[in-house]
Amino acid sequence: MNLAFRLAIYLPVLFLIAVVVVGQQHVSARETIRDAVRRTGRWFLYTAAIVIAMVAIELLFID
Amino acid sequence: MSTVRPPADKAKDRASIGLGVGTFLQGFVPGLLQYQSGHRARALVALGSCTALYFAGWSLVGDRLFHFSLVSSEPGGMWLPARIGIPMTLPEILNLPAHAIGSMLAFGSDNEAMRLWRLPRPLEDLGGFLTAASGMLAAFWSADGHWTRRWNRDAEDTVTAAPSCNPAFAAGVSWLLPGLGHAFAGQRSKGMLMGAAVALVFALGMIFSHGHGVDRAIASVWWIGEMLFGGGALFAALVTAPPAMTAMPENLELGTNLCTVAGLMNLVVMIDAFTVAERTSFPIARGESQGGFA
Repeated sequence: MNLAFRLAIYLPVLFLIAVVVVGQQHVSARETIRDAVRRTGRWFLYTAAIVIAMVAIELLFID
Repeated sequence: MSTVRPPADKAKDRASIGLGVGTFLQGFVPGLLQYQSGHRARALVALGSCTALYFAGWSLVGDRLFHFSLVSSEPGGMWLPARIGIPMTLPEILNLPAHAIGSMLAFGSDNEAMRLWRLPRPLEDLGGFLTAASGMLAAFWSADGHWTRRWNRDAEDTVTAAPSCNPAFAAGVSWLLPGLGHAFAGQRSKGMLMGAAVALVFALGMIFSHGHGVDRAIASVWWIGEMLFGGGALFAALVTAPPAMTAMPENLELGTNLCTVAGLMNLVVMIDAFTVAERTSFPIARGESQGGFA
């Protein structure tokens, strides 16, 4: 339950971090939000890939 | 035969070199860069404001400040550097002269001195905030000095307009209220969005930690990052940190983590506010790198 709760707040926080990171490359809020959505999606995919890799390593080597 | 290059190219070359390590190190003494640039009154204000803020905090927190150091201040190890004023207490170390005096006034190696470091004091949260704020203020004065030097060096060749506001001022007000610096620099909507993002993450952290995520006495290393959002750290020092923690919040470490992330996010906001204001005078040509994170 605790892990599910943390995962539920992960995505919104990831988006807020993306807003600040991509904001450096834009001049208006509208452009920043549009780019932050894209960036959040990309980071989320990276996160999923890392989690899948870690679970695979656990299953293969640690069991 | 040498090729004559236009002034704009020369200025661009200089800008890529930066102002050098010497200028960076001089920034640790508030007012020194302003003094060298010929702004003596400004230099006096810089030194005076940083010193006054440090000792206002020092009068409340005293020797206890060194309980928050990154390295042990006990005899042996880092004791000698600490005794002569170089303890790793961030961000106070950015205000080097006042912090060195504070260190020399405080340090003893006897048991009584060590007892004082460990003994909680009334108003220590506010005192710790004020000494840290003096370090942040010194950093903003240093940024102001760098800006002045850059202006004196490059303005004649490249500047097309006066800055919308002093870049160091834009960074400084963003420290207290994220996004306000962007409003002064001319990017209001983006500033409000970035500021709201920082404030939301900080608020989430405070909620999850039941207000104990920002407490220098409990988590002094995390607090260094949290302090990068000055408005939030001040709120915590006045409101949420003083009451004792009666029960361990279930998600204390998650809350502490989020508050630190908010501080680091605000570091990006401050740097961007400085850059936005700076680029009103030193614009980057289309096609050149815009900097920032990829």
